[in-house]
Amino acid sequence: MVRVRNLSFRFGARWVLRNVSFSVGRGGFVFLTGPSGAGKTTLLRILHGALPLQSGQASVAGHELARMKKSRLPALRRDVGVVFQDFKILPGRTVRDNVILPLEVRGMPRQKAARRIMAVLHALKLDALADCPCAELAGGEQQRVAIARAVVTGPRVILADEPTGNLDWDLSLRLLDVFRQFHLHGTSIIMATHNRDIVAAVPEAGILRLSGGEADPGGYDVAEAAGLTGPDGA
Amino acid sequence: MFFRLIFRGVRDLFRHPWPQALTLAAVTLTAFLGGLFAMFLHNLETELVRHQGKAQYQIFWKKDAAEQAVAAQWEQLRARPELFELTTFSPDQALSVMQEALGAGADLSWLRGKSPLPFTALATFRIPPDDPDWPKRTFEDLKNLEGVAAVHVNPLQMDLSRSVVEIGRTLLWPTGVFLLLLVALVVGNTVKLSLLARADEVAILRLVGARNWYIRLPLLVGGVTLGLCGAGLALGLLWVLQRSLAEVLNVPPLWIKIAFLPLPHAAALVGAMALVAAAASWVAARDRG
Repeated sequence: MVRVRNLSFRFGARWVLRNVSFSVGRGGFVFLTGPSGAGKTTLLRILHGALPLQSGQASVAGHELARMKKSRLPALRRDVGVVFQDFKILPGRTVRDNVILPLEVRGMPRQKAARRIMAVLHALKLDALADCPCAELAGGEQQRVAIARAVVTGPRVILADEPTGNLDWDLSLRLLDVFRQFHLHGTSIIMATHNRDIVAAVPEAGILRLSGGEADPGGYDVAEAAGLTGPDGA
Repeated sequence: MFFRLIFRGVRDLFRHPWPQALTLAAVTLTAFLGGLFAMFLHNLETELVRHQGKAQYQIFWKKDAAEQAVAAQWEQLRARPELFELTTFSPDQALSVMQEALGAGADLSWLRGKSPLPFTALATFRIPPDDPDWPKRTFEDLKNLEGVAAVHVNPLQMDLSRSVVEIGRTLLWPTGVFLLLLVALVVGNTVKLSLLARADEVAILRLVGARNWYIRLPLLVGGVTLGLCGAGLALGLLWVLQRSLAEVLNVPPLWIKIAFLPLPHAAALVGAMALVAAAASWVAARDRG
């Protein structure tokens, strides 16, 4: 579902990622870990087409990023749900209006879309806030809105950048349960986190440790991604 | 989906009311200035065309001229084949015109019925081609009419008129094109700036997989709506201005009546505003990945 070979990336002269290689099969659950600046966010941004692939190869949900034209980006992004560290929600709009966006761009009828988002909002304990403008929500609630928007389409791959960063432990566990449900139904999940407790809470998940391009200038950024698992054994 | 996006384009204008209101104001004022200039050019051209190949004489009768004799001479003038336009004034009518020109501050009503002004006529003739002496001959004819005290005509009028027509025609198109470019630049950049307020929304739509047309169509509709509203408001302002200034220059010796933009010009202004705003929206929302 996600396959990366010898991926390197640099901002100017500074290497952020060097020769990263891993693959995640259908239904695989992988934690991206590493210190700040290790390239976790950069890797996720490359995987959903927000940053170009500078060298190496990457394929996400069947989309080859190396040969991808700009006009094919929407197709990639429809197969990938993304949760951003800074939420990227529209503060002036209601929770419902934010979560319905990916369904609207797919042309889903409003009533069908409304039923689907209510189920997701319920799972994330947001149903009571459905008609609240997002600007009035707390940080953790806004983060759940971003998560709801990422999962509402039932994507083939979910990329989540520190999705539990603003949540208390109970909500973090609840969120992991939601992700687990998707993972058990075949969605591949790559989640960036530096919280060891979160990593420990999903024992079946693989761990991909990034050390940052500068950590080992002469060698490889990622030696090995341990314990990558999935229903198909990838 | 198509109609839903068109509806969204209009509805989204109200999501950011202040930037849109300011943009609308800028578009309206720019369109108004453009329209004002176009109206000026239109009226100038009308005047130039009106005077092209024509000669205008102001004829003043003696104070003691008999009304019936003057009326008979007016009829003779009207019968002349070269006559284009004849405006006549009895002493009282001339007094009314003077009263209008002086405004409400000067009350001349006490002179009504005993106006000191003479019978006057403003005669415009088409100059027959290939007869260069015609204006001078006509001037002499008019001067020799019985009871006529004076005839005024500027001997350089015709040459001047022809020169102005040539200059006007030469400058009209370049000025018009320059004006259109200026309006396009101002309106285009204003609409682009107003879309900055929606940059986050566009970025998020791209991130959730919206295709280009899904993002651009509502912006295009919003831009066209802004352009149309701005041009409509500008035309309204121009109409109000024209109504209040229409008669200001319609006094001796100018006799210029300010006309509103003709329908094709007004339609062109509206169309240009809509097109420019649409193009600016299209460019502003171009794909940046």
